[in-house]
Amino acid sequence: MKKLLKQLVIDTATKNIFLSLIIDGEEKQFVYEEGINNHSITVMPYLEEMLNKENLKLQDLDQVIVGVGPGSYTGVRIGVTVAKMIGYLNNLEVYTVSSLALMASHSDNPYVLALIDARRGNAFMGLYSNVNEKLTLVSEDVLDNVEEYKSRIETDYLVVEEGKPQIKKILNTNLLRKIEIIHSLTPNYLRITEAERNLINEANNEGNC
Amino acid sequence: MYVLGVETSCDETSVSIVKDGKFVLSNVVLSQIEIHKEYGGVVPEIASREHVKGITYVFDKAISEAGINFEDIGLIAVTKGPGLIGSLLIGVNAAKVISLNYNIPIVGVHHIAGHIYANYIDNGMEFPLLALVVSGGHTELILMEEHYDFKKLGETQDDAVGEAYDKVARILGLPYPGGPIVDKKAALGKDTMKFPRPMVDSGDFNFSFSGLKSHVINVHHNMLQRHEDVNIEDFCASFQEAVTDVLVSKTIQAKNMFDVKQVIVAGGVAANSGLRRKMKERITDIPVYFPKMAYCTDNAAMIASAGYFQYLKHQKADDLFLNGQSRLNLEG
Ligand SMILES: [Zn+2]
Repeated sequence: MKKLLKQLVIDTATKNIFLSLIIDGEEKQFVYEEGINNHSITVMPYLEEMLNKENLKLQDLDQVIVGVGPGSYTGVRIGVTVAKMIGYLNNLEVYTVSSLALMASHSDNPYVLALIDARRGNAFMGLYSNVNEKLTLVSEDVLDNVEEYKSRIETDYLVVEEGKPQIKKILNTNLLRKIEIIHSLTPNYLRITEAERNLINEANNEGNC
Repeated sequence: MYVLGVETSCDETSVSIVKDGKFVLSNVVLSQIEIHKEYGGVVPEIASREHVKGITYVFDKAISEAGINFEDIGLIAVTKGPGLIGSLLIGVNAAKVISLNYNIPIVGVHHIAGHIYANYIDNGMEFPLLALVVSGGHTELILMEEHYDFKKLGETQDDAVGEAYDKVARILGLPYPGGPIVDKKAALGKDTMKFPRPMVDSGDFNFSFSGLKSHVINVHHNMLQRHEDVNIEDFCASFQEAVTDVLVSKTIQAKNMFDVKQVIVAGGVAANSGLRRKMKERITDIPVYFPKMAYCTDNAAMIASAGYFQYLKHQKADDLFLNGQSRLNLEG
């Protein structure tokens, strides 16, 4: 009997949680919950529930696909930690995907601007397009001023800020990046911390004196 | 029983394997101290980022150093609080994955219970005992009448001892973390300044260090204004003498009142040589124990030991809804 490919998708980089269990390319189970930002409490119970419904254990999985942000720092770390541990313990293949790509996959509009608010007029944004029922990257994820960024886009697009990802549009695309050494997996924060920025500014100012 | 301990409440990523609460097979600590030094204190967001970076590596090292497999583990003990919430969540979620992956029971452990049980590893425990918990976040006296039974007799009303040390180090221009440096300088100086001993005769078991801290800062400020030379060694010695006088005398008062069989000192400030010396000098009728240096600062071995006794006592594990908590009551 042919062995079925069992993939788990985890994304906790926004206020929404997305978990998906894919068996031979078909999404058999998923959890998509909007607005309740308590991923630290719920991600493992949801995961257990999904696996139980398919009579599977973590050890039965073949691959983990994890949303690595950008997004909420605390949120993304939970999903990345869980994916990293599952991959490490079971020696699985782990792939990363942009959390903005997952968000963009919700819409079938030709051009999709996935956007996560980052306050003060800024947002994490990524421009994607739908081609032959697959999602492709048009413009790399950035943290930028929303209005300035939008003014530079030359096509019509739809802004997407939430919605259940259509994971099949992402499987087998180059949006997935394979992690070669599990210990090296980290979130994509797109920004150094405020403390680091201040330290750099201080150093620069001292240089000017 | 092999217990897997996990500790990520502040700036150390630590995983340990401890057998029966006592025998440490491995205790891996990935310290971020060099990173935070540049900022003069722990930066929570940086701490969280470092925990994620190092987490699987630390598990891997702890398991291989112990020479066992994850399947051999009988219990997972993870710090659930108090601490930096972003940091706690990394350890808690990593521990929950192991729990589900191998179907191993998991318990969330109070960080201070861990510091107290650091003493069990080398010294054992005889009840009733009195624990003085002193660290960057805590200053409290705790009475234990049996395993995993904590009664708080008193605590600081404002700053923790470790905090006061860091603050005094900063005004003296000494690098972070301040505790060890002030301790080192103090050993070379004399108590020439006669700083106040706050609440030493308050009749209860509470502490207060913010008044002393402000007093010390004012004295230093005035000396600078008058262009007086500040003898750093004497200054540190005077501060340390004041602090340790209060800690030791309150401990003695509590020891006498509750007729305990031993005194244990726990937490990062337990590494302070001035405190160690004064405790041993002034308490001679019963044993006074300090954890060895490696178990004074945050580590997972102490969490594994505490978790073991928590599980024995309550016969109850947590479920996968276990979460980190920045504030948490020890007695609760
Ligand atoms: Zn501690």
